[in-house]
Amino acid sequence: MMHQTIRSGSPTLSDDRDAHLRLDGLTKRYGDSVAVAALDLAVPKGELVALLGPSGCGKTTTLRMVAGLIKPTDGRIVVASQDITQVPTYRRDMGLVFQSYALFPHMTVAKNVAFGLEMRSLPKPEIERRVKEALAMVRLEALAERKPRELSGGQQQRVALARALVIRPSILLLDEPLSNLDAKLRDEMRNEIRDIQQSLGITAVFVTHDQVEALSMCDKVVVMRGGKLEQMGTPVEVYEHPATPFVASFVGRTNRLEGIAQGDGRVAIGSMAVQVPGRPGGKVEIMIRPHRMKLVDVGSGEDAASEGVNRLAGSLTRVTFVGDLLQYHVDVDGTEIVVEAASDHGRGFRKVGAPVAVLWRVEDTMVFGRGA
Amino acid sequence: MTAIAAPSVPAMPRLALGRTGTATLLLLPIAIINAIGFILPVLNLARMSFNEALAGGGVREAFTLANWTGLFGDTFYVELIVNSITVSLGITLATLVVSYPIALYLHRSSGRWRTFLTVLVISPLLTSAVVRTYGWIALLADQGPIVSTIAAMGFSPPRLMFNTTGVIIGLTEILMPYMILSLLAGFGRLDPRVEEAAMTLGAPPARTFWRVILPLTLPGIALGCLLCFVLAVSSFITPKLLGGGRVFLLATEIYDQAIVTLNWPLAATLSMLVLIIFGAALAAYARVLRAID
Repeated sequence: MMHQTIRSGSPTLSDDRDAHLRLDGLTKRYGDSVAVAALDLAVPKGELVALLGPSGCGKTTTLRMVAGLIKPTDGRIVVASQDITQVPTYRRDMGLVFQSYALFPHMTVAKNVAFGLEMRSLPKPEIERRVKEALAMVRLEALAERKPRELSGGQQQRVALARALVIRPSILLLDEPLSNLDAKLRDEMRNEIRDIQQSLGITAVFVTHDQVEALSMCDKVVVMRGGKLEQMGTPVEVYEHPATPFVASFVGRTNRLEGIAQGDGRVAIGSMAVQVPGRPGGKVEIMIRPHRMKLVDVGSGEDAASEGVNRLAGSLTRVTFVGDLLQYHVDVDGTEIVVEAASDHGRGFRKVGAPVAVLWRVEDTMVFGRGA
Repeated sequence: MTAIAAPSVPAMPRLALGRTGTATLLLLPIAIINAIGFILPVLNLARMSFNEALAGGGVREAFTLANWTGLFGDTFYVELIVNSITVSLGITLATLVVSYPIALYLHRSSGRWRTFLTVLVISPLLTSAVVRTYGWIALLADQGPIVSTIAAMGFSPPRLMFNTTGVIIGLTEILMPYMILSLLAGFGRLDPRVEEAAMTLGAPPARTFWRVILPLTLPGIALGCLLCFVLAVSSFITPKLLGGGRVFLLATEIYDQAIVTLNWPLAATLSMLVLIIFGAALAAYARVLRAID
């Protein structure tokens, strides 16, 4: 069912029994402010889970509590059925990759990677072998004797990844690892991290504010807001069936309209009316993804109302060319609606001010109640 | 009104100085002051160290190595030099040990608390070393609070004043602000994230300290030690007062030779020796810095 106004219906991540990492009511308070509020989460073994949300949503605080760098105010952290809430960081066996890489500036690349193994007092030949392996994994064997400052940002990030993975941690924690890289490198590293995580079958938690990273890399996405879990699910679930208006607008772009539902599947928006899935009633907001809408000239052959298609008339206020997309800004009764279309060799530009209509399928409409 | 024609301004002759030219010009005043106030007197001292001392404070222009050979031939002076260097190294080490935790704490604190602590660290510098030394005399005296407390606990009362112990205690405290400020200046590479990285990789606090924190703070340690060693070797008032004339160090001996005995050539020779020690300390510092890098 498309219609999703109820929150509690979000699917559980998995059965608790095979959860490798479990958070039970994890809470962090700073005085009166709550950074993380009673967070429950279960991550199955071998999965990559994204903690996604705007800054200040508590995702990094959650990650740092899992790593043991912040003491929780309340709640438990369980790894492989063992309560580790009181275990100090250095006995937690977690690989953490920092946003700033946090490499040891006074050590060579090889020494950085060897550090965790030396702390475990492994025999020297084994340390050497595993450092070599780890550096081969991130394709940096040639730079083993360099100092971190002689490396590029992408190389430093790969060293940080190798250093975290070489200890074969029970969980890999990634704290916005890609946000200091330029766009092209970010795409590359995204695939590289995902490939390595999958080939090692390691359980990983990935903190990010970038929905593209969360959707493209992760098995599950946990959307957080104000220290609370907003929704968790697969990338497709979170994108296609957002549980709340916040998730709908944070994950992907949306158009938002407010109206009064009539209880018969219709919603009145000002003087106009649209069809929505289901039979909601009362005040609602409806959301439609820009790329699910179509722009047509009023009165043209394409501008034909048909069953299961909504239509709103308005005037074109702006056309933006962003390379792969054309964005049409349409004024509909004082509300701005953005429609996206694939750009096609510069075709599709229209005259600003022209009367246009936007069409979209009823099933592509997301409806959320706005309370009484 | 008719328009007034813009008066033609003759182009100012611009000094084509360039970068190095400007730098030279800006450095010139301090270079001149240094030449008159520092280099000239030092050269004067160097010359004086080759003059001949006459009985009763007279000086005869000469060119003799007698002062230098006499210095190294006399066990009193050899001991004095060794003692000065050892005591200064001891003071430097003691200052480092007591200042390091304070500097580390200060480095990690933030906001108003940090400002308050920084002011607290610097505030002793607002009082003269003479006053602070008299403060230590009051504290370390035979009937002072420290000695009487130790005696009250049933131990034999130690002598904390008019000996090397007193000099080390007093100078350590007096040099602490310099050490703390130098350490802080050299803590730039210390990033809390790097410490956290060490912990996540399995390093307990002590190993994190030895493997990560200490190596990253070496530049600050080197700077602080250089500064404190130099200040300890050249300090005069505190050893004079807390040593009570029984602790013989280079600076006090120079004073005695120049003012009491009036043997200026010998005082000049000892002064040059102190300069040589400073040069050696500076060279050691440069080597340490290169090794860290």
